[in-house]
Amino acid sequence: MVKKEKWFIGLVMILALAFAANPLRVDAGGQAQPAGKNTITVWAWDDNFNIAIMKTAVARYKELRPDVDFNVEIISSSKEDVYKKLQTGLASGGRNLPDIVLIEDYSFYQYVSAYSKYFYPLNDVLDYSQFSPYKVQVMTLNGKRYGVPFDTGVCANFFRHDILEKAGFTDADITDITWDRFLEIGKVVEQKTGVKMTIANGTNWSSFFRMMIQSGGAWYFDANNNMTITNNAVLRETFETIKKLRDAGVILECADDSQLAGALNNGTTASVINAAWRVSTVKAEPSQSGQWRVTTMPRLNNAKGVNASNTGGSSWYVIENNQPKDLVNDFLKTIFAGDQSFYNKILVDQGAVCAWLPSQSGPAYSVGDPFFGGQKVNLFFAEQLPKIPPVNYGQYVPEANTAVNSALFNYLQGNITIDEALKRAEDQLKNQIQ
Amino acid sequence: MNSIVHRANKYDKYGWAFISLAMLAFALFTVYPIISSLGLSLKVLRQGDYVFGGLANIKRLIGDKIFHRTIGNTFIFLVIQGPIMLFLALVFASILNNKIKFRSFYRTAIFIPCVMSLVSYSVLFKMMFATNGIINNFLMWTHVLKEPIFFINDPFWARVVIMIAMTWRWTGYNMMFYLAAMQNIPLETYEAAHVDGAGPVTIFFRITLPQLKPIILLTTIMTTNGNLQLFDEPMNLTGGGPAELTTTMSQYIYNNAFVFSPAFGYSVMMSYVIVIMVALLAFIQFKVVKDD
Repeated sequence: MVKKEKWFIGLVMILALAFAANPLRVDAGGQAQPAGKNTITVWAWDDNFNIAIMKTAVARYKELRPDVDFNVEIISSSKEDVYKKLQTGLASGGRNLPDIVLIEDYSFYQYVSAYSKYFYPLNDVLDYSQFSPYKVQVMTLNGKRYGVPFDTGVCANFFRHDILEKAGFTDADITDITWDRFLEIGKVVEQKTGVKMTIANGTNWSSFFRMMIQSGGAWYFDANNNMTITNNAVLRETFETIKKLRDAGVILECADDSQLAGALNNGTTASVINAAWRVSTVKAEPSQSGQWRVTTMPRLNNAKGVNASNTGGSSWYVIENNQPKDLVNDFLKTIFAGDQSFYNKILVDQGAVCAWLPSQSGPAYSVGDPFFGGQKVNLFFAEQLPKIPPVNYGQYVPEANTAVNSALFNYLQGNITIDEALKRAEDQLKNQIQ
Repeated sequence: MNSIVHRANKYDKYGWAFISLAMLAFALFTVYPIISSLGLSLKVLRQGDYVFGGLANIKRLIGDKIFHRTIGNTFIFLVIQGPIMLFLALVFASILNNKIKFRSFYRTAIFIPCVMSLVSYSVLFKMMFATNGIINNFLMWTHVLKEPIFFINDPFWARVVIMIAMTWRWTGYNMMFYLAAMQNIPLETYEAAHVDGAGPVTIFFRITLPQLKPIILLTTIMTTNGNLQLFDEPMNLTGGGPAELTTTMSQYIYNNAFVFSPAFGYSVMMSYVIVIMVALLAFIQFKVVKDD
């Protein structure tokens, strides 16, 4: 019996070693082989936005090229799951990956800088001069350009016209102003109407301060990928501004996005400063139709500060996967870099403000939106796009967000000074970047 | 004699045949990943490939202040929440071991939280502890508070909320172990104690507790193991915030694998730290119980 046990353990170990030595064996056959040769796979999230848009794109391509054998399998999962599967696939040697994947601009560098060989550059396929420069900037690495610039996170101040009017302010009064002026207006608004001026996620300020620092043409890293935290005047002013706004009580702090949406819809806040896709959140409350407007976001006092910025936004990337490249290239080029009516359709249906500049002369841009009192909202966003300062997001956005957000939390609590806060953020970020 | 050995051998063969599938699965899904991960823990990512990095990950581990902080956070949860929960479980178990009215209702009610989905109960707690949630509203209504507390964004309360949530979910689970063990304690010992004139407190400490010792050891080890791997509650309730005060080791490992720049090797290295901690603490707990 003892002998047999030994023999068996030996067998187990041999098996284990065989697998350890050749990890390829384990998931042979597990690879998501496309059903037909001309079927490509797409990974994305958000059924109502990205998935719906990709479906529109495929339908449109079939319309334009009826004789081409082309099928797309769109796999919808949560954003976290897309990233998890992507990360795992890249780490295991580029297996089980889709042909096209949606990645946020903030996250793309962390994938491409580690796994550039699995991303297929589109330099020769697309004319990048037709896209918003700041979107092209975030997909450029070592002279190669990856991906199709897609939706933008162009920012605006969404505000309640009626509430501001009650407090005695016109739309022009809060257009192209500084944050200091915004704060003064905010105090008056709360005093006269009892409504908080604006809202932000108090547990995670990162989308708020990222938007602010980019409006000042700054980032956590400069153009040469050097860290700029303690020597970053824009970041410093951003910290101070958030503290001022918060101490003056003009910001309603919420815990997550659903609470934020709830506060907008039940009228406990007079404005929200966020990206274009907030239109859909705002419109979720039909009773407020006609009361909302959009205008430029406030700017920093810094000389480089402008009244425009970006937060979020994503793009489509092609994974090196032995797929029929001509077909994929033609699909992306024909639709995403050449089809006006596709862009017009997704602007009307999904409210997608995209980075392909020629699309912005489409008819949907000149239509007034009754929800916003007849304001040409889409045209407004299109006009903002060229003003957004391009910055280099770099490889470590999530790390930097975490470090800066922690430091900001302690600064807002009043535990540490601004210098200590910036120092702490820089130390933490340095500690994490290996 | 000979035939018995012979027969035993024959049974042996069948035995091995029966478990061979399970063993194969065990080898594939447990042994192989462990061996493979040991190798991965020493690797670093260079130009898209994981290559042997020597001691790079260990050096990083030693210098990583955030990881050290997450160890501290995890131990705060372990040291404070663990004993409170086990004590509560013991109290509930001894109450519900008596013949009281609606006993099975209470048992079920206390046990039910632990079959709930981790995510949905976290979301529930997040709603309860929101600034306009039921807890704040109640405290304002009873005039305990003047201003609502931003529970999950407060350095102190964020931890308390997580501990309350964990206690709510896992107390019933541990109580079941105690209840089962209490039913195995021979009634004669209680009767004898009664005859000798022992009160309920004496009975609890002199009769019940000593006989529960193996089960208390079991639940302690399970709690230690569970709390060292704490992930869902901080992830869903506070996201690790505010300022990483509730980030646990597991969450930091997750971040390094899937949120931050990819570092699977380093993540695996940190997981081994948890493995060693669990093993060490279990060993110490065994020793302490034996020495008693």
